[in-house]
Amino acid sequence: MTRFEQKPTPALYAAIAASAVTVFVADLLTPVGLALWIFYLVPVALALFLWRPGIPLVLGALITVLMLMGFLFSPQRGNWHMAVFNRAFGLLTLWGVAAIAHLFIRNKLIVRKEHWVQSGQTRLSEVLRGDQPMDQLGENVLRFLAGYLDAHAGAFFFADADGFRRFASYAVPAHSDVPERIRPGEGLVGQAVKDGRAFVLRDVPEGYFSIGSALGQYRPRHLLVTPVTADRMVNGVLELALVHPVYGSDIDLLDHVAESIGIAIRSATDRTRLQELFDETQRQAQELQTQSEELRISNEELAEQSRVLKESQTRLELQQAQLQQTNQQLSEQARRLEEQNEDLTRAKAELEHKTRELEQTSRYKSDFLANMSHELRTPLNSSLILAKLLAENRPGNLTPEQIQYAQTIESAGNDLLTLITDILDLSKIEAGRMEVKAQAVPLARLLENLGRTFQPLAADKALQFRTQIAPGTPETLETDPQKLEQVLKNILSNAIKFTEQGEVVLEVSRAAGERVEFSVRDTGIGVPAHQHDVIFEPFRQADGTTNRKYGGTGLGLSISRELVQLLGGSIELVSEEGHGSTFTISVPRVYDSGRDSREPTVPMPVLPEARPPARGQPQASPLPAQAAASAPLRDDRLCLTGGRRVALVIEDDASFARILYDLAHELGFQCLVAATAEEGLVLAWQHSPSAVLLDVGLPDNSGLAVLDQLKRDARTRHIPVHVISASEHSQAALAMGAVGCMLKPVQRAQLVEAFKRLETRLTQRVRRVLVVEDDPVQLDSLRRLLGSREVETLGAQSAAECLETLKAATVDCMVLDLNLPDASGFSLLETLSHENGDPFPPVIIYTGRDLSGDEEQRLRRYSKSIIIKGAKSPERLLDEVTLFLHQVVAELPPVQQRLLEKSRSRDAVLEGRQILVVEDDVRNVFALTSVLEPRGATVAIARNGREALAALERSAQPPARPVDLVLMDIMMPEMDGFTAMREIRRRPEWRKLPMIALTAKAMSSDQQECLAAGANDYLAKPLDIEKLLSLIRVWMPQ
Amino acid sequence: MTPVALDTTDAIEIKLLLEAINQRYGYDFHGYSMASLKRRLAQAQAHFQCASLSLLQHRVLRQPAILPQLLSFLTVQVSDLFRDPLYFRALRERVVPHLQTYPSLKVWVAGCATGEELYSLAILFREEGLEKRTLFYGTDISPEALEKAKAGVYSLDRMALFTENHHRSGGKIPLSDYYTAAYGAAVFNKSLRAQAVFSDHSLVSDSVFAEVHLVSCRNVLIYFNNALQDRAVGLFKDSLVRKGFLGLGSKETLRFSGHAGAFKEFVPSERIYQRKSEL
Repeated sequence: MTRFEQKPTPALYAAIAASAVTVFVADLLTPVGLALWIFYLVPVALALFLWRPGIPLVLGALITVLMLMGFLFSPQRGNWHMAVFNRAFGLLTLWGVAAIAHLFIRNKLIVRKEHWVQSGQTRLSEVLRGDQPMDQLGENVLRFLAGYLDAHAGAFFFADADGFRRFASYAVPAHSDVPERIRPGEGLVGQAVKDGRAFVLRDVPEGYFSIGSALGQYRPRHLLVTPVTADRMVNGVLELALVHPVYGSDIDLLDHVAESIGIAIRSATDRTRLQELFDETQRQAQELQTQSEELRISNEELAEQSRVLKESQTRLELQQAQLQQTNQQLSEQARRLEEQNEDLTRAKAELEHKTRELEQTSRYKSDFLANMSHELRTPLNSSLILAKLLAENRPGNLTPEQIQYAQTIESAGNDLLTLITDILDLSKIEAGRMEVKAQAVPLARLLENLGRTFQPLAADKALQFRTQIAPGTPETLETDPQKLEQVLKNILSNAIKFTEQGEVVLEVSRAAGERVEFSVRDTGIGVPAHQHDVIFEPFRQADGTTNRKYGGTGLGLSISRELVQLLGGSIELVSEEGHGSTFTISVPRVYDSGRDSREPTVPMPVLPEARPPARGQPQASPLPAQAAASAPLRDDRLCLTGGRRVALVIEDDASFARILYDLAHELGFQCLVAATAEEGLVLAWQHSPSAVLLDVGLPDNSGLAVLDQLKRDARTRHIPVHVISASEHSQAALAMGAVGCMLKPVQRAQLVEAFKRLETRLTQRVRRVLVVEDDPVQLDSLRRLLGSREVETLGAQSAAECLETLKAATVDCMVLDLNLPDASGFSLLETLSHENGDPFPPVIIYTGRDLSGDEEQRLRRYSKSIIIKGAKSPERLLDEVTLFLHQVVAELPPVQQRLLEKSRSRDAVLEGRQILVVEDDVRNVFALTSVLEPRGATVAIARNGREALAALERSAQPPARPVDLVLMDIMMPEMDGFTAMREIRRRPEWRKLPMIALTAKAMSSDQQECLAAGANDYLAKPLDIEKLLSLIRVWMPQ
Repeated sequence: MTPVALDTTDAIEIKLLLEAINQRYGYDFHGYSMASLKRRLAQAQAHFQCASLSLLQHRVLRQPAILPQLLSFLTVQVSDLFRDPLYFRALRERVVPHLQTYPSLKVWVAGCATGEELYSLAILFREEGLEKRTLFYGTDISPEALEKAKAGVYSLDRMALFTENHHRSGGKIPLSDYYTAAYGAAVFNKSLRAQAVFSDHSLVSDSVFAEVHLVSCRNVLIYFNNALQDRAVGLFKDSLVRKGFLGLGSKETLRFSGHAGAFKEFVPSERIYQRKSEL
């Protein structure tokens, strides 16, 4: 039975049977020969409607039997042979029809089966259609196949990452142990997967698996396991449990659908994957969006910040512009101030000059007066004596009138004498010739004397005169009694003179600070306030007219003031016009002979009060005998600060040194003081002071020798030196380079002037630039370019002119064109460098020609800066010149430093040695040369390995000096240091040649490589000169 | 994109690997920017087919031969001839007139990689008549890159871009005059590197080797962290003569550098700086 055979219609069977029986009966009844058998075709034809292909054949056999029986048992009639033939023919026909029927039915069955399979496929494809998730797809497929194949249970496994997972099951009881996943080769299902073919398991054993309904359980009879594939890859497996046996059609169907299910699974998988990817993309897109948003925000923030930045930058620029403006204004003001300052200084100097002249005149006047009064007094004396003789009239030959005349002459002469004495006193005091002779003065006696003198005078004018001593006043004074008395007398006589009525009182009292006050109080005419000062001036009285009324020279108060000051005291006036006056004289109780309170009208270069020498440094004085003179002053050497300029004073006179020290401080210098020439030089070298004040007469050496040494030393030659000497050395000093010269004794103002001059020299130096250029137009334009208020330019159009100019003037910087009419720039530079001991200024080469490497190398020895003329060259020239002029003068160009070094730091190990420097960097070549040459070594230079080899070859030839040591750079053009060193080591004669590699590399491997290439040692750049020197000393062959 | 936070294991591995390279070979990558290091190490890891950076570390330590390759991964070596033509135009028009005033010149191409930058400058200097008096230093830490730079061979398909760049930079002569093309590659004339010194030099650890007038160091500093950038700029400062020039990449600036005060902007748009003179 197959599922394609339809239930046979019983009527059809009956009809077949009936027709066969009818034909048989009829055949039996009819004699042979009648072709009744023909009707046997009817049942066979009827069998065509049946579904079993065997039936026509069975029928054929049956009917054959029937026909034979009909032949045998039918009544024989007619021709037998004919009948046999007939019957045989009938049989043949029958079998032919039966065969046809058989084939027909079979074909019919096949067509049905095909149809079944196809419809199964079609329906399955309908089931598969649409986007279904995996598990739903599995369910649907399983459900359909179970229904279509009449399976009772089923399971569907799909391939996933590892193995196969059950995605769907059909009618599988919940408690059954159907595995969730299987692996290829595992069990029957696994085997199906592995082999890629279907398995049929018939007659499943008992207990294998049971399917149940609510009412009971039964077990499937057969199992069908089939893999599904896509592109021949197994991606799923299907197991069905059947109760009916497995038909070939089932397998056929499954074979047919396996591929489409597989593809559906794959597309479902792909779809799922796609979906996942899509989701992922979505998620990422979203993330991207977020990030781009963040980015946008931060971008905006950045933009905002940059806007703010720009804004603040603009503001800053604005401020800067304003600042610049202010700066300009300030500098303009500063310039003006400076000018005013200069004017002031000039005016001050003039004033001081005038003052000096005045002082001089006043001294002359005093001298003159002193002399004159003496000269006057001599004849006056004689005339007084003679007048007195006349007035006595001893011979008695004169008339009373004549006697009167003689008395008048005498009185007038006395007045004149008083006047002269007064003038003399005054001029004595002013000339400083008045001496004070201090002694104990009992106050009581002094007052008694005064009383005795003035009592009668007062009584004459009906005035009261009193003297009184306040309690607590010391009894005696220690002062010059004559001078004190003179002052008091003068004031008292004035008081009496200018008082018409009332009283004159002299009161003595004690005052603060060990002083005694004498007050003279009167009730006279008084002095108007505006005249209080005037009355103390010589030759002045309160009123020009007073003289006539009261007489007197008007010198009294001046003299009094001078005298009181001489005694260390002072005199004061309290007075009001018409209400009397009070003169108060205050003098120290004990006259101090050590001090003179008076301001000396002419400052002397000796301090009246020498300070004791500083303690603690007695050993600083080399000669005990000179201890007093050269004991060092306390100076600033222990507390020097960088900010302020330093003045060095070389002066053995301690007191004068002290004056200079104080003055230096006053003018804002720190000050070092040296008492000897040697100490001075040491200090100058140690501290590089900004200025030197130098005494010529020093204990150990002449100041001029010191000056000479200072000027010969490159470290100190720039320091301005001012010479002070007691004798005339100015010409020599100035010739040797001093800034100025002063003759002792020196006035304070002169000193200030000297400091000022030093200071000016320090701050406002006009720089000089020499431009050497043959083309006059170019020369002019260069001078215009470089010249300014601070820069003076000199021009030279030929080498000769240049040399001449350099001899005549000091030049700070020189700009040199290489093309000159009389000599090339090279030879000019060589000439300059050979003029020994006369270092030439820094040179800037300014040339229109392209220089070869060799030429450049040659020029580099003399010039740090080479400029090729071009579009931007003026800019650079200006730059370089400015730079040279601004650098500290002590920072001398290496050529000069080299000269300096040459003199002091020769090194025994390097002396006379030949060192080959292989280095292409100008800066380093310069540095190395300037370190090595001053120490006595000769330096040969090679710019790369090839040149180094050539230089070594040359040096090996007899006239040349052999190279003692090689300093080898590594990074060089043409041939690098490694190669060069290897090449050198290859030659047997250079096996032992010491080589020191100079490398910029820090890695130890590089340094190892240096050693491997043949270096004896290496030194890392930037070069440490000390290390380099010690390495050279180590490796230099002895 | 915000940088993906470094997995701690990754970070440790990177640190250890860098330390290993430093201790074993002396190449110090500690100052390099972490994000870009991570990307480049990932590439290297894939190239050497190591499952992890630790394995790569093992290989590098044991097989010195692979170091050059690894270095070429760690250093970025992408450049073109006359990359950013406007930079070269600025050099030509603004900087060259200044350089013409020196009798001899030195140019340092720091981080020259495979030499494109150096050849560009050599061509530019030849066109401006400065080549004869100029010495070029090309330095890089990768020996492999330096070999390539010395060879001066570039693939032919890059020449179109190079030619256009050269033209845009103000080149006067066809670029083809400077190279010979054959077998799909172009080799630059030997004469261009007659004045060039290629050398191994690290901005991280090594010091100044010469006084130079122009430093071109483009797109190198971006791979450094700030401290290292400062060190490198310090080296440039010490190398440069007064008023010497420094050219940086278009995304690099001295504004935040500790040495900013020593330079002034010369052509701000092209990141060309000039060292101030010490006045």
